[in-house]
Amino acid sequence: MDFEHKMKPELRKFKKILIANRGEIACRIIWTCKEMGIRTVAVHSDVDRDSLHVRFADEAACIGPAPSAQSYLNIPAIISTAEIFNVDAIHPGYGFLAESSYFAEICAACNIKFIGPPANIIRLMGDKVEARRAMAEAGLPVLPGSPEPITSEAEGLKLAREIGFPVIVKAAAGGGGRGMRIVHTAEELGKALETASTEAAAAFKDGSVYIERYLQNPRHIEIQVLADEYGDCIHLGERECSIQRRHQKLLEEAPSPVLSPKLRNQMGAAAVAACKQLGYASAGTVEFLLDEDNKFYFMEMNTRIQVEHAVTEMVTLADIVRNQIRIAEGEPLGFTQDDLLIVGHAIECRVNAENPETFAPSPGLITAFNLPGGPGVRVDTYVYAGYRVPPFYDSMIAKVITHARTRELAIARMKRALEAMVIEGIKTTIPLHLKILDDPDFRAGKISTSFMEHFLKQNGTKVLKSESGVGALVG
Amino acid sequence: MSDPGSQKAELEITAESEQVASSSEPAPARRRRSRSLAAESSVNMDELRELVQLINENDFNEFELEREGFRVRFRRGMEISEVARRELTAGGSATEPSPTLAPSHPGAKAQTEASEDQDLYIIPSPIVGTFYRAASPNSDSFVKIGSIVEADSVVCIIEAMKLMNEIQAETAGEVAKIYVENGQPVEYGQPLFGIRK
Repeated sequence: MDFEHKMKPELRKFKKILIANRGEIACRIIWTCKEMGIRTVAVHSDVDRDSLHVRFADEAACIGPAPSAQSYLNIPAIISTAEIFNVDAIHPGYGFLAESSYFAEICAACNIKFIGPPANIIRLMGDKVEARRAMAEAGLPVLPGSPEPITSEAEGLKLAREIGFPVIVKAAAGGGGRGMRIVHTAEELGKALETASTEAAAAFKDGSVYIERYLQNPRHIEIQVLADEYGDCIHLGERECSIQRRHQKLLEEAPSPVLSPKLRNQMGAAAVAACKQLGYASAGTVEFLLDEDNKFYFMEMNTRIQVEHAVTEMVTLADIVRNQIRIAEGEPLGFTQDDLLIVGHAIECRVNAENPETFAPSPGLITAFNLPGGPGVRVDTYVYAGYRVPPFYDSMIAKVITHARTRELAIARMKRALEAMVIEGIKTTIPLHLKILDDPDFRAGKISTSFMEHFLKQNGTKVLKSESGVGALVG
Repeated sequence: MSDPGSQKAELEITAESEQVASSSEPAPARRRRSRSLAAESSVNMDELRELVQLINENDFNEFELEREGFRVRFRRGMEISEVARRELTAGGSATEPSPTLAPSHPGAKAQTEASEDQDLYIIPSPIVGTFYRAASPNSDSFVKIGSIVEADSVVCIIEAMKLMNEIQAETAGEVAKIYVENGQPVEYGQPLFGIRK
């Protein structure tokens, strides 16, 4: 799916890119820049001096102390660095400033290309109520719910009765599961509105909430899209991300074990049509809920690269980061929907520096580290033996991705890869993943967003206890 | 890395018949060149003494000579472990990235210099930006080596996003060191001045 390798590095519009991020995604972006012949500038906080993204970038600058607000979210420091190093563009990665329309506007004002969609679309998709309305207008099916933020309990109650219980209360500015409450009865609604609003106000400085019908056992299916600046848009198929704990994805796969080619085309075409309607440009992800009758509903759109993009890259052979850069340079897509190829099956496990029993963060010194390898294994990481995982940032330290001809083989490949992955000194979620991979429902593809809840109830945490020291180096 | 005060020197002489474990050159290439082992392998000690003296006089840290039949390597002022580590990483060890890959960091030089000035109060840069010693290209520098400063004295300007940020000394004393040159980019935490209290 990458048709641009004809482009010589010296003819590229971008000579140098600043990566406004850290961790594995910063490394991931550097790898592609190296392949494209583009120089990279890493920015980092003072505790991230030994992080791999700093080592592998061509140039680097420390932009502030450990707290993100003073470093990775420090827009003046990032723009100042971009000017000093004379970069052509900024790649925001995911998290931090990736979905800040304000940052995108500042970049534009400073004549630095923001590698992402236009600022107005980032803002629109950041407001979940507005996004819902815009996508419904663009022809995507949405769940019955409130067209405006809820202002009173009485209004909420009237609406909830209309759409029928259970309902879900969500934050308009939401994300990551914060400011969300599931409500089964009318009596619970008042309190749920209040707590969701308080939580949303604390997390996003915006307490507005809205109500939507709550689906009991939906699947989380998302469509990866690529759109250029000339109105052309295609999709790269779907990702199945139903394995979540507290709305945080743990394990993702592509393709979904339940999507028929017909349904894939339907969902893909719907996402593409909506993106064209919006005037979207760059890579993006349209997230859907799929109910037990295979009806799909728009949930939200992520206007950035996603953590789980790698599974799509494996099965389509596309480099999504490369396409983001090309599109930002003003190149046309250069391929059509008919060029889409989906080969085999890919799975990703997120390895977090967490206690697999309690999910408590486990930062600290990595005393031993072995990367799995062999056929069909990809690991995106920024850690190494002797690295100290700082307590200030996200706990994800690696993504292990396996690719094979069938789902069954990809699972077997993932199991042996995780068994050979040795991380000593800190606790990781590897033992949890090994258990999930052995679960009969998971193996049968019978999964929904409530999978983890049942899984943890069934297995408890004691089974994980004995296996927290998985894998051993021989010889 | 290099410590001129250290008297530790490492001398390695390798006759052809011995294995050189840490050599960066592949063994077969060396073997091909060994023809008359008996004629060359005896090292003339006088020659060697002369060589060492020559190296010492020229203040070399590292010297390597390879001739048919023998190889001499001379090295001083380096911790053995440091040497070993560098050779390990150069050999493609997965445990640590090679130092040669480290990117150009604007503050690296200043950091190294300042780390030697333990007795001085270091004024670090509070932001990323461009360092200026004067308010404008035509005006005098705020401070020079030997200038006496108060805590609220302006010592330099750091420009970030077209804004001129005045940086104060934060301590009283005498300017003993200036680690950055006028017009150079500086990063957060990078040493700018050393003040003797």
